[in-house]
Amino acid sequence: MNKVHWLVFTAILLLTPGLKAQSFNSLLGDESILYAQTKQMNQFFRRFNAEESSAGDRFYPGDKDYRNAFLRKRYLNILFDNQNASITDPLKDKFIDDVLNPVAPAYLDFHAGQWFAEVTTKFLYQGKEEPVTLFMKLEKENLGYKWVISNVYFRHFQLMFHNLDNGSQRFLHPLSHELDFMNLVKVFKDKEFVEQYTASDYHPDYLTLFLYEFKKGNLLFKTVNNVKFHFFQVPGWYFEVSDFNRSGTNSGWLISSLLQVNESDKELLLKYLYHE
Amino acid sequence: MTKFKVLLAALAILITGTGLMAQDEISPSRKQAIDSLALEKVRDLSKYISIVGNKDTPWSEANRVIERTQELFADGALMGVSTLGREEINYYGIREYLERLMALNYDKVNIQWYNIQYISDLERQPDGRYVGVITIYQRFEGTTKEGLRYVDVTKKDVTVYVERKTTQISGRIIGFWDVLLGDIRVSETKPG
Amino acid sequence: MMKNRLVSAACIQSRLKFAVMMLLVVSLGAGFSSCTSQKKLAKKKAAQELAEKTAKAKTDLLAIINDNGKMTLEEKEFKLAAVKRLKLEDQEIKDLIIQAEEKLAAERSVLEKKKEEERLMREKEARERELRESGPYRNINLSLDAVANAGDVSVANMKIREAMASFASEDVPVLILISSDGDIKDYDRPTTIKKYLEFIKDQKKSPNKVLNAVFDSNGKIKELELIKK
Repeated sequence: MNKVHWLVFTAILLLTPGLKAQSFNSLLGDESILYAQTKQMNQFFRRFNAEESSAGDRFYPGDKDYRNAFLRKRYLNILFDNQNASITDPLKDKFIDDVLNPVAPAYLDFHAGQWFAEVTTKFLYQGKEEPVTLFMKLEKENLGYKWVISNVYFRHFQLMFHNLDNGSQRFLHPLSHELDFMNLVKVFKDKEFVEQYTASDYHPDYLTLFLYEFKKGNLLFKTVNNVKFHFFQVPGWYFEVSDFNRSGTNSGWLISSLLQVNESDKELLLKYLYHE
Repeated sequence: MTKFKVLLAALAILITGTGLMAQDEISPSRKQAIDSLALEKVRDLSKYISIVGNKDTPWSEANRVIERTQELFADGALMGVSTLGREEINYYGIREYLERLMALNYDKVNIQWYNIQYISDLERQPDGRYVGVITIYQRFEGTTKEGLRYVDVTKKDVTVYVERKTTQISGRIIGFWDVLLGDIRVSETKPG
Repeated sequence: MMKNRLVSAACIQSRLKFAVMMLLVVSLGAGFSSCTSQKKLAKKKAAQELAEKTAKAKTDLLAIINDNGKMTLEEKEFKLAAVKRLKLEDQEIKDLIIQAEEKLAAERSVLEKKKEEERLMREKEARERELRESGPYRNINLSLDAVANAGDVSVANMKIREAMASFASEDVPVLILISSDGDIKDYDRPTTIKKYLEFIKDQKKSPNKVLNAVFDSNGKIKELELIKK
């Protein structure tokens, strides 16, 4: 049985993305495609590192093919969304070369941080369905790990605090104290500009706001719409992993975005992802 | 500076590496036995679902099987179901899901399980219990009295909780693995 | 420089030739000496050989006596036999042979005992297996399989009732061994015979067989331990 799986898998690996999977389907049945599909993020990690056989059986450290570079190269090639034109072949090859660098190969580590989830959810806000993006990361606690909410993006919060940057227009003059700050009445006259009167290092904490609104009963959870993952673990690279629920072998959890970035630019990219 | 970073990274890898080792006290052979035990539970569940979904199953039998099915699950487990056309997930309790299945108006129900499954690593959660996910695929075919046929293929990601427990049976201490199923994500999928 | 070397090489060659000739002269001279000195020489050689044999035998015997597991029993017995074949008249050797023989006899008896124990163990296991697969265990296995193979619910229920007759109660604990790694034994969550029989009926499979059963004074099973077939 394992031999058959291996044959099927090898055939799929050798296939160019242009070839239709349907021809397989009739030949070998549906299951061959399910083998090729990256069925869990766990499998994405294991394939990325070559820690499982083509049939999905786990390799343990010390097994002959555990993290075998030849196997990794084949696995890495099937871990990309082939329908994404922005992931060009030269870019992909450069990434794979860097990952397989014989001196310092890059492995993904579930517990090592530098990767997180972006979860698009739907909440009811003031009676209307609104998308809320939760950023989740793994955190160690006691004997094991757990996912925690590290950040949140909600359009309404962002709109509410858009006037932050510019403090030159509105301010309390430096002698306000002599008047018992009676000019505060002007500060709180207008909702729109109140944040301009805050200290320069003030930064709105959207997660606290979100929890406050939720506890007040203003936000009601409806459902999860989408999940994707952002990886910063490979030196010099960023990539995003999304689930492709579609027919054919190029499906399941695949790299949906790939960027070559300096370590120093990763912070910027992170801010961009957080909508900051 | 970059050298320093590389050193730091290497150090970080070393630390996490040893951290994992210390945590991994179950031998691969025992792990494999736990994996297959968990997979058996998922297979048992699929059989129970077929019995409940089968119109020929007497009502009393179906109810008994629903009870048995619930014993496979941890308290509060949910089924999160989504279909291809729509993005959102609908949530059902296990009993609710089974009762809906029982009430389906199909004259004939045929549930088949693909001969493929994927078993994740067992990860430890803060309370020390292990958790894993087993992915399986199911083909559902329902035919109405009028001969209308409904077919879907779903991917089921099943949460599995594994905990080492001990009990006393006629004075003997017995160590056992308590395997309980948790939330199940059911997503309609395109197999071919 | 080159010339010098050539000269010295020629010189060595001529000296060698001279040495060979001298040797020939000496050996010829020895050939002419008397027969008595030849006999003496042979006697001396025999004595030397005997001394060597005795020394070797002594080392071998001591190695046997002082061995603590480096050699196998067979190796030691072989060595001892070789020494005995030499039929040496040396008293010390004779004493050592006796010591070695005593030691090997003791070792041999321990080994035989161990072999016998292993044989008995194997026989016991075979008897237990026999018991499991025939005898009373066979009947339990058959009654479990009968439930799994029942064509429909009513037949299955009947088979469950039949199987239940061998058990002390519905709540008899059932243990299923999933793995054993040295001393560590891993079981599935304990269940009861009633639930286990219903499980077999629902799943239409009987994946386990009896590993052990404890009977009460009425001959009914009060504890059942199963293992994967």
